[in-house]
Amino acid sequence: MKILVCISHVPDTTTKIKFEGNGDTLDKSGVTFVINPYCEYGLSRAIGFREEGKNVSITALSVGGPEVEPTLRKALAIGADDAVRISAHPNDSALVARQIYNYVEGKEFSVIFTGKESIDFNGSMVPGMLAEYLGWSFVSFATHMEMTGEESAVLHREVDGGYEVVEARLPIVVSCQKGISEWRIPNMRGIMAARKKPLAVVSPSEEVADTLSTIKFDYPPAKEACTYIEPDNAARLVDELVSKGLI
Amino acid sequence: MASKYVSLQNLKFTLNRVHQAHEMSHYEYFKDYDEDAINMMIDAAKQFSDTYLFPFYEDMDRNEPELEDGVVKVHHSVKPLLEAMAEGGYIGAGAPAEYGGMQMPSALSVALGFIMSAANNGAMGFSGLTAGAANLILTFAKEEYKEKYIPNMFAGKWQGTMVLTEPQAGSSLSDITTTAKPIGDGKYRLTGQKIFISGGDYDAVENIIHLVLARVEGAPKGTKGISLFIVPKYRIEENGDFTFNDVTPAGIYHKLGQKGTPAMHLMFGENDDCEGYLVGEENKGLSYMFQLMNEARILVGLGGCAIASAAYYASLEYANERPQGRRLNDKDPDQPQTLIVNHPDVKRMLLLQKSIVEGGFSLVAECAKYWDYTRVLEGEEKEKYELLLEILTPVVKTYPSEMGIVSVSNGLQVLGGSGFCKDFPLENYYRDIRIYPLYEGTTGIQSMDLLGRKVTMKQGKAVKYLFAEVNKDIEAAKTYPELSKYVKILEEKLQVLQSVTMKLIGIAMKGNIELFLSDANLYMEFFGTIAVAWQWLKQATTAKQILLTENPQGEDLKFYESKIHTMKFFFAYEVPKTLGLAQRLMDDEVLTIATEREVAV
Repeated sequence: MKILVCISHVPDTTTKIKFEGNGDTLDKSGVTFVINPYCEYGLSRAIGFREEGKNVSITALSVGGPEVEPTLRKALAIGADDAVRISAHPNDSALVARQIYNYVEGKEFSVIFTGKESIDFNGSMVPGMLAEYLGWSFVSFATHMEMTGEESAVLHREVDGGYEVVEARLPIVVSCQKGISEWRIPNMRGIMAARKKPLAVVSPSEEVADTLSTIKFDYPPAKEACTYIEPDNAARLVDELVSKGLI
Repeated sequence: MASKYVSLQNLKFTLNRVHQAHEMSHYEYFKDYDEDAINMMIDAAKQFSDTYLFPFYEDMDRNEPELEDGVVKVHHSVKPLLEAMAEGGYIGAGAPAEYGGMQMPSALSVALGFIMSAANNGAMGFSGLTAGAANLILTFAKEEYKEKYIPNMFAGKWQGTMVLTEPQAGSSLSDITTTAKPIGDGKYRLTGQKIFISGGDYDAVENIIHLVLARVEGAPKGTKGISLFIVPKYRIEENGDFTFNDVTPAGIYHKLGQKGTPAMHLMFGENDDCEGYLVGEENKGLSYMFQLMNEARILVGLGGCAIASAAYYASLEYANERPQGRRLNDKDPDQPQTLIVNHPDVKRMLLLQKSIVEGGFSLVAECAKYWDYTRVLEGEEKEKYELLLEILTPVVKTYPSEMGIVSVSNGLQVLGGSGFCKDFPLENYYRDIRIYPLYEGTTGIQSMDLLGRKVTMKQGKAVKYLFAEVNKDIEAAKTYPELSKYVKILEEKLQVLQSVTMKLIGIAMKGNIELFLSDANLYMEFFGTIAVAWQWLKQATTAKQILLTENPQGEDLKFYESKIHTMKFFFAYEVPKTLGLAQRLMDDEVLTIATEREVAV
């Protein structure tokens, strides 16, 4: 069974986000980039299938420039067998989905794992678009997945107040979230082995146009400073609330 | 609990840029370790530490091991930690590939060790001791023993220990009395008792492999009659079964810090049934053990600055969140309070911590690189790096240990009263780091080793090599006018160091060894400060070069500018302290040597 794991290359969750230029570009200085945590759940689940004795090959794929290669190498260190970088700028979900679709066509993958969203842009659009382009089954927000034969899988997906159990035919696109597996830490031998695993660079498809351009990023409004009002000064409390239009 | 304990950017800068650790990949033995591999492994070690080490730091301190019914029960996190260490390939990383190792350069392994020790210094003792003991077996024991013990030690199933100290013989190992009686077939029967044995017995591993110093019956007195033995807690029979080997825990020490790691009092051969297996040749045990000791001393220095790193980031975090008072030029009580990081005295303490942590680690990395060279070079070049390592080992053990305490103490001070309370980790770091000037030879022993042996060895050849290394970096710093002031200071201090050394050697040549070594501790402090000043100039030179050629922006720009600023701080605040030390060392007044007329102390 061939599994493709789509890997987003995102700033570490502890990064202090800053913008440069006209506020339309992330300041990448001093920023550590990592595998998108939700994509990593998918990678880990794919490795889990292998550990359960299934004959799987795992390809990690990312859309981006050479800067994403260390992230793909980490996916290889964790356990992917090979990696592919589609050399395109990934600033548009439609473009990314279309590029992945063009790569996947004709390659006989049975499962494609993505994250439920990337933690930088939080778009949550690529997996749905990809499934639509491919005409495959799509299960989003998966928290559990078991194969039930060569042709189908049972998955759990989170819904309000509980979870839904679904059976889906393969091939399938699965967007993953916490619960589907546990993250894995690359071990030293895995890191060394990763350096010898193939990492192919694929040119982007010519016909895919970038349909989105960013005008500006901005920060959420800063929290206002706390105002302390003396317990016996109700008049001031009323004034403050009135001045803010709250009463 | 503070959230940050280490800076990966600093580790990568120090390794890849200052010390060019990836150059080791030019040698066949280390060929896989280029910059990408180094960075990936550093990132992986941090992720590992965030998962298996840092979350348990406080709880391991609060729930220390107990000896109950002859069994030492350790914290529940230790067994999964050791399994994960083995799975991650960390325990045997430095060993040759033929024995299941990864031939990892020491320069990289100290960086990984730094991260892990900063995350949870006590817990790192388990795997560190096993790696050291396994390395000793690999280097000196016969093949049969390597096959028997190494795989399970690297698998984290069997613990390794260093068993030296006895109740009457600590620093003075020549006085050990544990005896070994030959019983044929390369086996010996051991009897004696040992104290302060870290990881000496506990329930999270299947077996404990002790490396024990003992005296074969009839061996010469003193250090020349000491042999080294492998003494397992359980003997491994032909069919793989375990037989108890008469190694009994007599007690567990309740310590000031590093409470998660059991330190044991062990009895060997109480029932005359403790077998030991000779490592190498009889009476050469101490020289073998010193290989392990020298490695361990570098790792002690590493641990000292790692704890200081964790304390530094905890106090920095606090200083950036805690408002208190107003700037000294702004006394208006209607103005909001300022963060304490804005107070000069707090900033001074933070810079002091940073200068000790990053300067100390740079010295550790320098030594680790020398260590790597000794593994791949031959002849005169190999000798050069061996001598550099010889002279710097006592220094790299001592400076981060002693000054690490100063650093953590200043970190605690930044928190004020909160630093003294268990709500914050500073008190824990302060208790943990206090052992480091005692581990693997006290500061007194290291200082006498530096002045009494290393400075004079081979007619001062080690010193000459060291000065050549320092001068090479001074020449590189002269490229940048902004650094010229500090180049001049370091050159002057090297001159003073030479003068002080010559004066002291003059005393030794007159035969008064006690007087010669009486202030060795102060000499060590002087030497260590200059060694770290050298490392700071080296770091600043690299930072300056990057600033001028690579146009770093944003956080990167701040990082490199901070390197130069901290170098200036170290030269302005720490280096001048050598003036007082030099004055004392050049003074002939004798106040500490025992005389016939007893003076009260």
